[in-house]
Amino acid sequence: MNTEKFLELLKEELELESDLKVSTNLKELDEWDSMVAMLLIGLVSNEFDVNLTGDDLNSITTVQSLIEKIGPDRFE
Amino acid sequence: MLGKRNILITGATSGIGKSLASFLVRDTNICVYGIGRSEEKIQDLLGFENFKFLKFDLFDVGDIENLFKSALDTVKFDGFVHCAGLEETLPISLYTYDRILQIFTLNVFSAIEILRNLSKKKYSVDGASFVLLSSVMGELGQPGKVGYCASKSALLGLTRSLALELTKRKIRVNSISPGIVNTPLTRKLFEQIEEDNRKRIVEMHPAGIGESEDVVYLIDYLLSDHSKWVTGQNIKIDGGYSIQ
Repeated sequence: MNTEKFLELLKEELELESDLKVSTNLKELDEWDSMVAMLLIGLVSNEFDVNLTGDDLNSITTVQSLIEKIGPDRFE
Repeated sequence: MLGKRNILITGATSGIGKSLASFLVRDTNICVYGIGRSEEKIQDLLGFENFKFLKFDLFDVGDIENLFKSALDTVKFDGFVHCAGLEETLPISLYTYDRILQIFTLNVFSAIEILRNLSKKKYSVDGASFVLLSSVMGELGQPGKVGYCASKSALLGLTRSLALELTKRKIRVNSISPGIVNTPLTRKLFEQIEEDNRKRIVEMHPAGIGESEDVVYLIDYLLSDHSKWVTGQNIKIDGGYSIQ
């Protein structure tokens, strides 16, 4: 998946106010809560067939770290 | 009980279904018919003369009637236990029609189709007992469980209505609602959540989380004549989880 498209997808599906950059720390967003975390897990599963665990979510901070968890080879 | 009993179990290859099958086969007066997708996980059961494995994918609801006509043509069942089911966590915004259809197909529609066939005099004896595995989550809510809770709740409505439809033939229909039981389904659920959350869930069970055997003994009671006056019920078995 194209990284730019991924950032747009995240913004739209997570219903975020501001644009995302790969350096944006997801956990520091106003909207971040347990429901958004759950939505993110579902999204990643749907788009990449990757199942993030609760422990994965714990260690994720920036969009970049999320990309690492999914697998950088899945992005262009 | 006199004579041989035939019991049909869905989800026989894992968790509660497998424990139930393993428990019932020890009684040589019972013939267990277990439905599952793969015999890989039940090699030990295949050795029993009174265990018949029916390799079948319950997502193929339209083929269930054929399963009865081909593999079960001469069998009259004394009991049926629907243990097959899937559990998932998904917020409402991701529950597309296809997604919700999936969980309902396995958890509910396959059971209804089996019951549609089983309820015929051809495939069931008078006095038979049908048990559906719901969940405490059939009556409790939780974020991310729209599909699971709705499907488990559907089984409760089905239980009550079908119980009344079948009393004339003295067939009983009941649900049980387990709390968290130590099974592969639970282990998969636990993998998805953080450790703190896992601990919290375990702590919310005053008597601890359950083992498959705990649930099996209750199902055994419901399948037996000892429970002949119990019908249309939902029995919670949850270590005290839902009373708090």
